[in-house]
Amino acid sequence: MKPRPRRILFSIAVLLWSAVLLYFYGSGRMNKYLAPDFRLIAFCGGLGLAVLALFNLLTCGQSANCGHDHGDEEHDHESGDMHPLAALLLMMLPVALSVAWTKDEYSVSALSRKGLYDTPSADSSRFLSSAMPTITPEEIGKTHPKSAGGFYQFSLLDLFFATGDRELQTAIDGLKVETEGRWMDEKVRNPNGSRKRLYRLFLTCCAADSKAIPIVLDFGKMPPEFPENGWVKVSGIMRFPLEDGELQPVLVADLAEASKPPDEESFRRNP
Amino acid sequence: MSPDSKQDFAYAFLSILFEGAPFILLGTLMSGFIDVYLPAGTMDRFLPRSKYRAVLTAGLLGAVFPVCECAVVPVIRRLMKKGLPVSCALTYMLAAPIVNPITALSTWKAFQGQDAAMMTSSRLLLGYLIAVGVGFIVLKLPLASVLKARLVESLEKEEAAHDHHHDHDGCCGHDRADEGGQKLVAAFRSAMKDFVDVAVYFAIGVTITALFNTGIAPGAQWLDSLATHQAAAPAALMGLAFILSLCSTSDAFIAATLAKFTWGAKLAFLVFGPMMDVKLLFLYQTVLSRRFIFWLAVGLFFAIGGISIFWQQLILESK
Repeated sequence: MKPRPRRILFSIAVLLWSAVLLYFYGSGRMNKYLAPDFRLIAFCGGLGLAVLALFNLLTCGQSANCGHDHGDEEHDHESGDMHPLAALLLMMLPVALSVAWTKDEYSVSALSRKGLYDTPSADSSRFLSSAMPTITPEEIGKTHPKSAGGFYQFSLLDLFFATGDRELQTAIDGLKVETEGRWMDEKVRNPNGSRKRLYRLFLTCCAADSKAIPIVLDFGKMPPEFPENGWVKVSGIMRFPLEDGELQPVLVADLAEASKPPDEESFRRNP
Repeated sequence: MSPDSKQDFAYAFLSILFEGAPFILLGTLMSGFIDVYLPAGTMDRFLPRSKYRAVLTAGLLGAVFPVCECAVVPVIRRLMKKGLPVSCALTYMLAAPIVNPITALSTWKAFQGQDAAMMTSSRLLLGYLIAVGVGFIVLKLPLASVLKARLVESLEKEEAAHDHHHDHDGCCGHDRADEGGQKLVAAFRSAMKDFVDVAVYFAIGVTITALFNTGIAPGAQWLDSLATHQAAAPAALMGLAFILSLCSTSDAFIAATLAKFTWGAKLAFLVFGPMMDVKLLFLYQTVLSRRFIFWLAVGLFFAIGGISIFWQQLILESK
């Protein structure tokens, strides 16, 4: 292929990647894919790709001089490893299909692989807590506001990692708390059908690295109905019973109501 | 594919793409500008004359020029064309994603409460030693058995062009007057060409990673059963690192959650992953011959696995 059409094709492929990055950032959907530290980098990457592609597109017919002499050999800084059309297809097809298919979240099946039904082990709790500022029992009253109903407002992550933090667990056990997350069926240890599961996705860097952080909701009767994966605010008393030899974070729920999705998926210390 | 599988694949694919694309761009911009603006042989001047000392130094360059594994491939490809010895380039390529301050910080943070200092220092030391070891081996190999044929040909042309010029006027031939911004155009063209080359392989690698990451591809259940086995656990986690193709700046956060696995297995995961994974397998093909990639993968697997098991035993005995 001649250099000019090749440059145009490559510019189009790079522009597509740029457009996807900038669109997801501009629309706020990027928040579902990347942890906060990486979002600005992705935006800058999108801008950089746009500059690269547009510069090359606008100068595709211009002659260029790399400044060094290649002797009698043909001067070549641009021919790639494969046919430009094949390269274009490989760059564009998976991106285009993914943009068409994505719903900005995982299905239940993928969530199960990412820990939705795992018991919080001491190690995983410790790992997750290392990504957060420390919290002490003395600080709970100061840092966690109370709802109108008198429930302390907790992030789901606090309740999850308290399972592996003996001191925090003792402080929270029996406390009236309110938290929010995504509504999901409970598939284990639920003989009476009185339990549901509440989870959020914790992004360390990107959604592929994410981990589902769940707690168990126990209503003691048939739970209310909410859409699967819908955002729900739940109030009740926090317990950490030993079930099948492992501690479980269980919120004995009094009240559950649908809530608005938060701005971002990854956790903050306080609601 | 079921609708759920499509949804999961797309979500994982885009998230890895968003995370990795800016770093590839950074690497290819650097490579494009190195191509046009850096005179040939410049890198040689930064390295000691002795081949072995040069390899030892190249393993530490990541501390000064921190680059992740996605970005390092186009950079070293260009640096080789600029006269960086292949042994030093490969040492830098393998070491830089691990022996750099960003990776050290993320490893230390992720392993808080799990002997973070030991894990971080072990990771950096093992990464450095393995990369230098590969560099020493490459010193003994003919160029054609390491690099892909097209690149060898290109390097020979570059060398011939230099010789030709030196013979005639004793001048290197670089850095002549910038003719009305034409060098800038050439630099951007070179960067775009490098970006497309790398992006194609990256897209293929991310596609495969996303299929495994979301469980669409079969084979993740057996991992747990190997978690405490001295030899099988490192092998299993190196296999996992290969499939997941995580960035070296973030893989420690995943390794730290693999609570069931031995310490040595996690170390193997953290050293092997940034040197060899599905995504890199495709990226390496822009530089290395397939035969060399195969033997590199095999060598890294056994060397890193063996040293990790030995290292773990040593630490356990000292406690």
